[in-house]
Amino acid sequence: MTEKVKVRIDGEVIAATAGQTILEVARANDKYIPALCYMEGLSAVGACRLCMVEVAGVARLLPACTTPVQEGLSVNTTSPQLHSYRKIALELLLVERNHTCAVCVSSGHCELQSLAQEHGVTHVRYPYNYPKLGVDTTHPRYVLDHNRCILCSRCVRTCAEIEGAHVWDVAGRGIQSRLVSELQRPWGEATSCTSCGKCVQACPTGAMAEKGWGVEEMTKRRTVVSRLSSMREGM
Amino acid sequence: MMIQDFAAFSAVREAGLAKLLPSKPRIAVGMGTCGSGNGAEAVYHAFASEIDARGLAVQLVPVGCFGFCAEEPLVSVWVPGRPLLMLHRVQPNHVDEILNGLGNGRMPPAEIVLCKIEEWDHLTGHVKYGLGYPDVPSWNEIPFFNGQVKIVLRNCGLINPDDIEEYIAIGGYQALYKVLIDQNPAAVIEQIKAAKLRGRGGAGFMTGTKWEFLAKAPGPEKYLICNADEGDPGAYMNRNEIEGDPHALIEGMAIAGYVTGTARGIIYVRAEYPLAVMRIERAIEQARAYGMLGENVLGRGFSFDLETVEGAGAFVCGEETALIASLEGQAGRPRTRPPFPAQKGLYGKPTNINNVETWYNVAPIVSKGPAWFTETGSAKSAGTKVFSLVGKVHSTGLVEMPLGTPLAKFIYDIGEGGTNGRDIKAVQTGGPSGGCIPADMFDTPVDYETLAQLGSIMGSGGMVVMDEDNCMVDVARYFIEFTHSESCGKCVPCRVGLDKALKILNGFTTGTATREDIDAVDELSRMIRDTSLCQLGMSAPNPVLTSLRHFRHEFEDHILAKRCRAGVCEDLALSPCENSCPLHMNIPRFLQLYKEQRVEDAFLSVILDNPLPASTGRVCQHPCDDRCRRAGIDAPVNARDVHRLIADEILLTEKFEPMIQKVIERQQPTTDHQVAVVGAGPTGLACAYYLALLGHSVTVFESRPQAGGMLRYALPEYRLPKKVLDKEIELIERLGVKFQFNVSVGDGVSLNDLANQFDSVFLAIGTWKEGWVYLPGTELTGVMPALPFLEGVARNDKVPVGKNVVVIGGGNAAIDSARTARRLGADVTIVYRRERKDMPAIPEEIEAAEHEGAKVVYLAAPHRIVGDKNGKVRALEAVRTKLGEFDSSGRRRPVPTDEVIRIDCDTVILAVGEKVDPDFCKASGLKVKEDGTIEVDRYSLETSRDRFYAGGDLITGASNVSNAMGIGKKAARNIDKRLMGLERVANLIPDFEYEMETPEEPGESPRHVPGEMPASQRVLSYAEVSLGLTAVAAREETFRCLRCDIRSVER
Amino acid sequence: MDKVKIGTCWLDGCSGCHMSLLDIDEGIVAVLQKADIVFGPLVDADEWPEGVDVAVIEGAVSSQDDLKLARTARERSKVVVALGDCAVTGNVPAMRNGIPTRKLLERVYVEGATAQPGIPTDGVPALLKQAEPLHAAVKVDVHVPGCPPKPNAILFVLGELLEGRTPDLDSKLRFG
Repeated sequence: MTEKVKVRIDGEVIAATAGQTILEVARANDKYIPALCYMEGLSAVGACRLCMVEVAGVARLLPACTTPVQEGLSVNTTSPQLHSYRKIALELLLVERNHTCAVCVSSGHCELQSLAQEHGVTHVRYPYNYPKLGVDTTHPRYVLDHNRCILCSRCVRTCAEIEGAHVWDVAGRGIQSRLVSELQRPWGEATSCTSCGKCVQACPTGAMAEKGWGVEEMTKRRTVVSRLSSMREGM
Repeated sequence: MMIQDFAAFSAVREAGLAKLLPSKPRIAVGMGTCGSGNGAEAVYHAFASEIDARGLAVQLVPVGCFGFCAEEPLVSVWVPGRPLLMLHRVQPNHVDEILNGLGNGRMPPAEIVLCKIEEWDHLTGHVKYGLGYPDVPSWNEIPFFNGQVKIVLRNCGLINPDDIEEYIAIGGYQALYKVLIDQNPAAVIEQIKAAKLRGRGGAGFMTGTKWEFLAKAPGPEKYLICNADEGDPGAYMNRNEIEGDPHALIEGMAIAGYVTGTARGIIYVRAEYPLAVMRIERAIEQARAYGMLGENVLGRGFSFDLETVEGAGAFVCGEETALIASLEGQAGRPRTRPPFPAQKGLYGKPTNINNVETWYNVAPIVSKGPAWFTETGSAKSAGTKVFSLVGKVHSTGLVEMPLGTPLAKFIYDIGEGGTNGRDIKAVQTGGPSGGCIPADMFDTPVDYETLAQLGSIMGSGGMVVMDEDNCMVDVARYFIEFTHSESCGKCVPCRVGLDKALKILNGFTTGTATREDIDAVDELSRMIRDTSLCQLGMSAPNPVLTSLRHFRHEFEDHILAKRCRAGVCEDLALSPCENSCPLHMNIPRFLQLYKEQRVEDAFLSVILDNPLPASTGRVCQHPCDDRCRRAGIDAPVNARDVHRLIADEILLTEKFEPMIQKVIERQQPTTDHQVAVVGAGPTGLACAYYLALLGHSVTVFESRPQAGGMLRYALPEYRLPKKVLDKEIELIERLGVKFQFNVSVGDGVSLNDLANQFDSVFLAIGTWKEGWVYLPGTELTGVMPALPFLEGVARNDKVPVGKNVVVIGGGNAAIDSARTARRLGADVTIVYRRERKDMPAIPEEIEAAEHEGAKVVYLAAPHRIVGDKNGKVRALEAVRTKLGEFDSSGRRRPVPTDEVIRIDCDTVILAVGEKVDPDFCKASGLKVKEDGTIEVDRYSLETSRDRFYAGGDLITGASNVSNAMGIGKKAARNIDKRLMGLERVANLIPDFEYEMETPEEPGESPRHVPGEMPASQRVLSYAEVSLGLTAVAAREETFRCLRCDIRSVER
Repeated sequence: MDKVKIGTCWLDGCSGCHMSLLDIDEGIVAVLQKADIVFGPLVDADEWPEGVDVAVIEGAVSSQDDLKLARTARERSKVVVALGDCAVTGNVPAMRNGIPTRKLLERVYVEGATAQPGIPTDGVPALLKQAEPLHAAVKVDVHVPGCPPKPNAILFVLGELLEGRTPDLDSKLRFG
């Protein structure tokens, strides 16, 4: 699996290893492709659809996070259409739940917020959903605010793949999908939770946070997951 | 019995044949879910107990469905040596007679005999039933089956699905046996590839290629999966295939098992299909018992077994990766590909998934070879596809047709057109993931590529036909609601995007959306299509995108005119009748007021909605009848005759004067605006009336000496007595409308004069230019167009009509001419080139003409008019036509034959349609459309010239009275809105208080129809034919209204 | 040349955006050289005047009065600027949207009252079912997110508008 291939990203020829995904190759070479559900060290699920790219010779757009590179592959990471679609996806996430950045512990350190800014989202063109959602404060150290969850499932994968506890999963379907801990038990009562807090660090928004922080104060150590993952692989 | 060698196989085959073609009569009852739903169980039990009671030597078996769902329950009866007789709509009370007939050779009652089958090609075997029954059509001679090619459905409805021996009897499992003996898996895969068999689940991937992937994947642990998670609304072919012929599925999978080196297969079937689950499980057990599954299949050392898994009915589990997740016990959510299931499928092992129908094609291809298979279908899509033809089509059912068959064939030939002769608007293919294809594109061949080009898909083969009663916006909304609730929620575009798309579409169906929303939903739909994770999301916007492409005007109607023409979107209509009325009369209100014996209020309600209620009460095409929900109980409410009576009770009595005052009381304060209306026909009168009510000063210019237009000069006195019309016009004059007669635009007054003198101008001249067909002989004396003829009679001119009159045409003018000519003492023949049901005239009028002695010759196209040496008409020659292909109007095109008929006559009246005077339109300097009519904004009726509006026939071409008045009313509303800056028409209506209760349990009560003068007396005078409803009958009629205007209590 | 007419108002908001507007400090001088502020909390005018060039609106649309004012301002102004997160997204005022209005009022004015419990009806406008961003009620030309938007962002927006340009805010501002 160490076969070397040459690919083009935005015109530039880049050497890669077969089996790597487009996103991995791009990130390793400082080519930026936006993504929310992708996190280094976790399996890729292709859920947020922000990393959609154009691949020469393929009529459809492809998710960079799950598409493996092949010799000669040529990728466009930006185009007016991709920009427009990414913007729509971000707007959809913003209207789905009640993000209210102004009063969020993660404001200023939130991936959704900064991606929205980066893509020029100055307002959202779709009507807001205003769902009635709860906040799970049962865990002694952490808090889960469903209003800010974007269902990226990074916490789910972190817990299942890195910690091996699989406390989290997504229940329900469609717009009714909700993050649940241990068969709908409150987080504080989830016996399988080791309270390691890696899910909190993996969360891209203010949906998961440590208790005790005020607005804009919750910064996350996002590299925790990838570091642990690479250490495991090194073993 | 376990079959391990050829002798045993042959023995079972013989045993099966003895069951299929026994030495005694065999009766097979179609007991698929569709048959059972229509009472097949009761029929079966009736046969069983009667056969038992009489001790008859008759074999009774349950079979699957033969496909003609509209005609269930289907029963086949076979007497040795005779053809198989297919009976339809069989009820338990037919059982006696059918069984009696078996003994004495009598046929079952004619009304339940559908067709016969003399021999049947099961593809893997051939069955000869016998010859006979010359009067009964062969199965493929009846329209529904004509052209069908049964490959997948080769056994359905003919063999007992619960008996493996019958399947073996018709050559079943032979293909499997052959493959096991040949021991050349690669050759079989080559055969499947050469046959160009493509996945029938919708994606259309080459099946042979997929098998090849699996065959090459390392073993031994691999899986074959049959996707029987059929979930499209309106699609049920997979269910019927399994219910009717489960062994063909098993055989197809076993063959694939051998050639791909796979030992295990799983059939993932919906739990909502209990009968299919039962039949396939029973079939698997039998197959094991007979050595077709399990260890050492057919004694050839091959092991393969099948199990069923019931899916909980999530639509997304039809997506292969979600299906695999579901099989693994996880939530049914798709994952991204690659890796593809062929690499990493069930439990991470190589897996191949095919749709039910794909498997059914395997055994015939193996037996008959790929060349035979590719004979059917189109170049890129070989073979057949089973479609479920449902919706607003006359004959519904499962239809198996060669790929590439045009849609028109399905809808007009197999389906025999719309239900109750309704016009078909579109067909939705591919279920919620498919798109709507409009009727004018029905020449489209049905194959994977062509449908995709139109933005639709073949999908699993759903074909939902829609007619004028379907709102395409609501259809799109419905499908998005479905996919929205079936979205798994994993990816953002599908989870949130569909939710937003649904909210925007809800705005259309409730009339709150804006023009920008059209672009918003279009852009969002594209984003969902292009970026979703799985096929559910990628295809979910198809219904929206195709509707936007082909039916954009319906979206615009909903938001710009707040109108749902189909009457589906309840928020945009008061009731179906109001919605269908060109004048939007509040029909439930005047019915209720009359019911409460408040005649004056009822009149006020009527006259404020419709300025000519007595005239329209006599001559309207009454579209309200077609939409009345009462028709579902017995017959529509006769609203037209009720408002005629209400109007007559006031207009023709001493109540007229006081009521005029009441109408004047509703008049809005006088404005200083002057409006000119050109043309005093129904359109102009309606517009003038409303503008006067709204307080404007109105002058009507009319080229003729009196007002009324066609109502006065084209409608015969016996249909509309002019004294009635005079009263209505008097009321309009009393509101202050000024008339200038004998002035025509161009001659007496120019458009520029009007522009200078008036704030707004409404042009509403009618269609007085005769449509003229080129027909040799039209120059002869005795040939005349219908309108001058009718006008001459109306003016009491001396009209030269002979003794034998031929009228050419089928519209109202034709019928009016014929009936008028009868009153002038002539013998009358109407010649029309299509069938009676295609005639545009009001059906009651055609009937009345016949009662009065007019003859009608249908299916005859005038060919020439024969003259004598004096240049006078002697006869009309017409060519007999027969009905050919369907044209884009959904009617069969008349095709000339060799037969010429000759009708002797001395007068020919041409009633072949009227058109707008193109010279006027051109001279007007206004923008004109290709067909010669004036171009206006659809919604505001504004022309290309500022402050000029046009309506009536000038913009629509020839139409009818009510449509014309509806446009006049709309013009008044728009002119007033522009002059005053706000919508004011609603202010005219006072607050009527009346009971808002729906009738409890409406019982049957027949529609009241007015009495008529006897036909023999009618032709002697011009006295009005219809006597109108009596007051008692009218009041009784009001009780029949179901009050659709009342909404259910707030939820 | 006539001066540009600016009107400002706040609907359901905390006035923080107006504070930020004041925080443009000496920038106000440059603005006032080219513009007059003809309506707003800082100006003595009862009614939104006709012929305004730029309407700067803070706050979400929460009550009947908000809706009326927003519509009037829209009708009488050439350019409408939604200033701050409440006007742009609904923000904090919209946090009540999951709760039915009646329940909300009861919770605050009846259950939460220490004296004279009762839902006020006199002199206060009726609440709308939901607090909505400004663009849900009227057409908005420029959106300036931020809670509050930074003074220099406001100055930039006003400066561009006064120069007759549409401010390009792409990637310059964030929510919150």
